[in-house]
Amino acid sequence: MAIAATTGLDNTVERPGERAPLVLGNTTYHTITESVSSIAEQPPSKLWVLGFLVSASLASMFGLLIAYLIYNGVGVWGNRDPVFWGWPIVNFVFWVGIGHAGTLISAILFLFRQEWRTSINRAAEAMTIFAVVCAGTFPGIHVGRAWLAYWLAPYPSLNLWMWPQFRSPLLWDVFAVSTYGTVSLLFWYMGMVPDLATFRDRSKNKWRRMAYGILALGWCGSSRHWMRYEKAYALLAALAAPLVLSVHTIVSFDFAVSQVPGWHTTIFPPYFVAGAIFSGFAMVLTLMIPSRSIFKLEHLITVRHLENMCKIILATGSIVGLAYGTEFFIAWYGQVPAEQFAFINRAFGPYWWAYWTMITCNVISPQLFWFKRMRTDPVLIFIVTIFVNIGMWFERFVIVITSLSRDYLPSAWGYFSPTWVDWGMLIGSFGLFFTLFMLFCRFMPIINMAETKATLAHQLRHASHHVTEH
Amino acid sequence: MSDSNNQSTHGMMAEFDSVDSLLAAARRIRDAGYTKIDAYTPFAVHGIDDALGIKPTKLPWITLTGGVIGALTALAMQIWMNSINYPYIISGKPYISLPAFIPVAFELTILFASFGSFFGMLALNRLPRFSNPVFTNPRFDLATDDKFFLYVDAKDARYDGEGVARLLGDSGAASVDPVVEDETPTEVPKIFFTLAGVLAMVAIIPVLVVAMMRVTTSSQPRFHVFYDMDFSPAKDAQQVTTLFADGRVMRPDVPGTVIRSEDGFDIDFQTGVDMEALAAMDPARAEHLVRLVAQAPADEAAPADEAAGDQVADAQAAGGASEPVDNTPWLQDNPLEVDAELLATGQEKFNIYCAVCHGVSGRGTGLVHLRAQRIQSPTWVQPSSLHQDILYANNYADGKLFSVITNGIRKMPGYGAQISASDRWAIVAYVRALQLSQNAEESDVPAGQRAAVAQAE
Repeated sequence: MAIAATTGLDNTVERPGERAPLVLGNTTYHTITESVSSIAEQPPSKLWVLGFLVSASLASMFGLLIAYLIYNGVGVWGNRDPVFWGWPIVNFVFWVGIGHAGTLISAILFLFRQEWRTSINRAAEAMTIFAVVCAGTFPGIHVGRAWLAYWLAPYPSLNLWMWPQFRSPLLWDVFAVSTYGTVSLLFWYMGMVPDLATFRDRSKNKWRRMAYGILALGWCGSSRHWMRYEKAYALLAALAAPLVLSVHTIVSFDFAVSQVPGWHTTIFPPYFVAGAIFSGFAMVLTLMIPSRSIFKLEHLITVRHLENMCKIILATGSIVGLAYGTEFFIAWYGQVPAEQFAFINRAFGPYWWAYWTMITCNVISPQLFWFKRMRTDPVLIFIVTIFVNIGMWFERFVIVITSLSRDYLPSAWGYFSPTWVDWGMLIGSFGLFFTLFMLFCRFMPIINMAETKATLAHQLRHASHHVTEH
Repeated sequence: MSDSNNQSTHGMMAEFDSVDSLLAAARRIRDAGYTKIDAYTPFAVHGIDDALGIKPTKLPWITLTGGVIGALTALAMQIWMNSINYPYIISGKPYISLPAFIPVAFELTILFASFGSFFGMLALNRLPRFSNPVFTNPRFDLATDDKFFLYVDAKDARYDGEGVARLLGDSGAASVDPVVEDETPTEVPKIFFTLAGVLAMVAIIPVLVVAMMRVTTSSQPRFHVFYDMDFSPAKDAQQVTTLFADGRVMRPDVPGTVIRSEDGFDIDFQTGVDMEALAAMDPARAEHLVRLVAQAPADEAAPADEAAGDQVADAQAAGGASEPVDNTPWLQDNPLEVDAELLATGQEKFNIYCAVCHGVSGRGTGLVHLRAQRIQSPTWVQPSSLHQDILYANNYADGKLFSVITNGIRKMPGYGAQISASDRWAIVAYVRALQLSQNAEESDVPAGQRAAVAQAE
């Protein structure tokens, strides 16, 4: 067979006039089904059980801390005058940012016909949803009286006799994040339906067959169904693409519409979106590099996939770096003393360590990806993505904390110190994220089998063309 | 319809090993004139729509409709809620500030359009459908793995079981099988109903408890799931504490406390009482008042001065025939010189502090009262009209009015802590002017200004 020719091939090399294969090895439709389904069919490995126990313990800690917070009030956080947003909002923006890569990979790369997205989009979408879950938790508990969080919704209240204020960016945020979560969930689930049908059809156990059967909605692979399904998928992609860009734009309005020096800038929307894509891709790589080796998926998530994502990280990281520079330039050029002070204070004030951590991780570390050797070494990529994750958390820390701690009035200045609850919730939110991701790896098709098979079919047709041409 | 042995068969299903053989067979079957045909494949096969003659879907129109409904819903919701039903003025923006309504409108457009395409797709595909005759053949499980199936429906006009099977076989099918009726039971297992029943019973318990508590009375205090700031850890005035040896919450002023009012210290001015006259009548009470007012800073004098106010309030609340005589020697006249400047100050302060309840005209119909009426607040009492005989200057001393502003009366709180003594006297002067204005004859207006009043009318 023609695909045998691609065994052991380096698919990161560009050959003019030839399409680099995205599925490697002696792969057939059946081996794709086999390698993806077997992950969910075999008993869990010791590594998975260990990882799950650790993450689930951290997630439980998160739950207990939330109960502790609700019982005692928000005073258990380090949020003190003048920094009332503190870590909960830093974590919220961080997780929402992470949540951008999934839909971006699924929607925007789909619209641009970037076929390499097929083997990573499923896990990236799942990651998006789990990140949005983590993100949504923080504003929900940050409102103080979490049991009244439903006041955010526009419902006819008999107590308040009034409606939410629709001219507030904080309310826009409620709509943006909840719409994003819902549409991402639809997109993810719809993409999984044919693969859930595969799981159903492979099930030996009656209950398993019933569970996957319900989730698969009776999918039978009819060509008419496929035609409408593909149309719906393209439409959802076209709808999700502007949605992705809108979400972090609106999150940035939370800051930019205010008057706080260091927040009140028009550069925030594009800068936040670039940062979100940057951190999201880093998190996808952080998750995919161990997963592909643990679940033996190197022939489907190839080095070429990693390399492409590294290029996006390099591009968005540089955009973020440019944005940092532009902020300083505008502060100088705008000649507003408060604004100038805000930026000097960021870099050289009491939070200088956070600022320079951010610069090192976000601007300097991705520059390694100019070199192909760096882009194709999974271990090195993994290390850099960890740096990017850390750097992007610090970016939100720098924006939220330094600006609020130095308002216009020096008498109102303060210094933010996190409490153990802040630390516990940050770590706990990672626990929740990894718990959900590990459950997903265990029970759901982590690679889009149907699309990967279509990519393979495409590749086979091209390979056969080449055989006939030569 | 042509074959007698296809009563229980829905059609003929052929299995193929590759995309190419499926496409070739599909074209051949279609060329043979069959129209009710379908293919079942593990992924979307490129070119199958043409081979089978599948028409484009109307799904994009459903999506567009969803999007339009989303945009209109969002705009209508925002305009109605923030501009019509409960108009807000925010940052001086107009009631209908479209630019600020764009983000929510955008999000709902996307949301509804997405619902349109997802649920539209399911509806057009008639999914979910869990019982489908095509699933009867165990080989069909491979349709989601690596095999490709071509199906000719028995409803096709040209359908005859044998002929179709032969044609499919000749087209390169690995196997051909009839699709038979799905005989497996389609009912949902009983355990699901049992579980659903138990869950519903459990779920209804809290609802019933809440409903029961709402319709029955109880001598116990309301049950608080969340305290919602209903209880303050701070002590109330008459409560007991263990913090101090004497067990009293209210503390005497620190010895040596001096007044820090800009008005200087004038006991009559601060209380509205002629203190010398009071000392002659009731030395104990005068001494008490002087001690309380003199030792506290003027701004905090109000609570200490409550004694005087309470007595007045009690006297008035009792009312009717048994009304105790209020023999307090109130200052009859405003100690400040009443001029246009003082009245202007009084008007300003009145409109800030008093008009919200008493109304700008003093008739007791301020905005707070109007809103309390609108939400039918059960605990609200209408603020007094200032235009009653008993409140006019000949019945009600200026000093008494001053004391009411300072200490409050009935449901009205005292304003001594918020408004300085001289501003309170200015308000007293303005209230007198307001009372005059409601009962004035044309002859009361100075001759020079009658024309202006006439014009205003």
